[in-house]
Amino acid sequence: MKPNLAKTTPLNTVLPFYATGAMAFVVLCLLLVMSGESLTTHYFNPHLLSIVHSAALGWGTMVVFGAVYQLLPVLAEKDLYSSNVANFSWYFLCFGTIILVYSFWDFTTGWLMITGGGFVLIAVILYLVNIIKTPSFKVMSIQMNFILSSSIWLLITVIIGLLLAINLSFPFFKINHLEILKVHAHLGLGGWFLQLIAGVSSKLVPMFLVSNSGRSKLLNYALILQNMGLTLFLIDSSFFGFNKVRVIIYVLFAVMGIICWLLFLTDSVVRRIKKKIDVEMKHSFVSFICLLVAVCLLPIILSQDQNNIILLYGMLLFMGWITGLIIGKTFKTLPFMVWNEHYKKVIGKMTVPLPKDLYKKSLVNLQFVLYLLGLIGLMFGIYFQSLTVIQASTVVWLMLSVVYFLNVMLVIFHKAKINYEV
Amino acid sequence: MKFSLTDPYYSEKLKVLDVLHKVIDPELFINVVDLGLIYNIDFCDSKHVKVTMTLSTPHCPMGEAITNSVKHAVELLFDKVVAEIDLTFSPPWSFEMLSDEGKTQLGLK
Repeated sequence: MKPNLAKTTPLNTVLPFYATGAMAFVVLCLLLVMSGESLTTHYFNPHLLSIVHSAALGWGTMVVFGAVYQLLPVLAEKDLYSSNVANFSWYFLCFGTIILVYSFWDFTTGWLMITGGGFVLIAVILYLVNIIKTPSFKVMSIQMNFILSSSIWLLITVIIGLLLAINLSFPFFKINHLEILKVHAHLGLGGWFLQLIAGVSSKLVPMFLVSNSGRSKLLNYALILQNMGLTLFLIDSSFFGFNKVRVIIYVLFAVMGIICWLLFLTDSVVRRIKKKIDVEMKHSFVSFICLLVAVCLLPIILSQDQNNIILLYGMLLFMGWITGLIIGKTFKTLPFMVWNEHYKKVIGKMTVPLPKDLYKKSLVNLQFVLYLLGLIGLMFGIYFQSLTVIQASTVVWLMLSVVYFLNVMLVIFHKAKINYEV
Repeated sequence: MKFSLTDPYYSEKLKVLDVLHKVIDPELFINVVDLGLIYNIDFCDSKHVKVTMTLSTPHCPMGEAITNSVKHAVELLFDKVVAEIDLTFSPPWSFEMLSDEGKTQLGLK
């Protein structure tokens, strides 16, 4: 059978996710500037809940949806099942997030918050339709298995989130609301983001570095261990309540899964033929360090329940790990999509710019410096509970988000420059 | 890739190989010949050339751009010649297929 070329999802399906995600990142950083003091109080406070949901849904999930819609045909070797379904998922995710972020900020519980959660649930169901209907399940790569399992965890996370929103107005949970909140947060981080990132990075990192790891079995172990830990955590917490000793065992399973996945990536880096590591990939390396540091904090959180360590843990994951990965990988994927759309039919016939010419490399370098500065400042500020340091570092984050937003817009609004002289 | 001096299209094949040195992989910034993506160049007749090539990874998102680029570059070289791209992953691309020049450009040498 003749090999086919990779299919591509229409650009107008993918770009709204990237544009909205970039805008949400600016809003998230603006909320951080406006409410730096929320990082010095208990994590269950309206402003912090608003900030976390703008980070998890408006920023992280929004960009991830766009990236997966683009990558799914490559992994599944088939066209995306439906661009229209993908477009509808954008509407529901976008409006659901706006409603949720607003209602958390003001702490307007009731039907508004429930409607926002309902919209997000519909967006996730629509996303799942494409995830399930696009690939052929006869041959499933490990990457597709990661994406599928992460989607199921996302669905469970969002359902629990909606139930939590309902419980705030019409209490019905027999278990403490905060205990369920911990389950909701960890299924989102460990099920949705971790498994999605594990699947996508195990495809993209070797591809960008031109590498071929001989240890792909590690990914199978990673998938099994991460899911085993999460499933046991969910079942145990739901039926028997949050028990710290048993949770440590489940965390160990998940951590072993994370180690297997990171060992695979390390092997890919060691075997790479593209020796020079660009600044976009450096973002990824720092982000993985943030993930490892956050995981190392888990025993302290489970044994001491210190509020500043819990906040440190959350910020390391959202701002260090997820954000670091997204802002780096954006410029390894988005310019190529836009470039492909503009130039794939004329390349070779005339001189065309390269994908790297669609954005400003100097802004990516500046973005990396701001990311490091903002991250270190925020971590110090939270650990030592210094409001001044927190506020100064949130300004750095705001500058970073504006730099990122401008560079993303440069790519999205790129006008084809075609020189007919070869 | 070696061409026989007795091949009737020897000089044309050399021209094709030369022009393909200008076709760049947009991610790695190395031309497709030194990257080892070109497996064979074959003239079926004077108006029809078949380029057998691969990609560094199956279902590479840039695959269509790279194969289009090869096709267009060859067709621009000659008057009214149709270039056909025969994409194959047998044998799959591997690091050993890089030329010495390609290895130097990637910093492997």
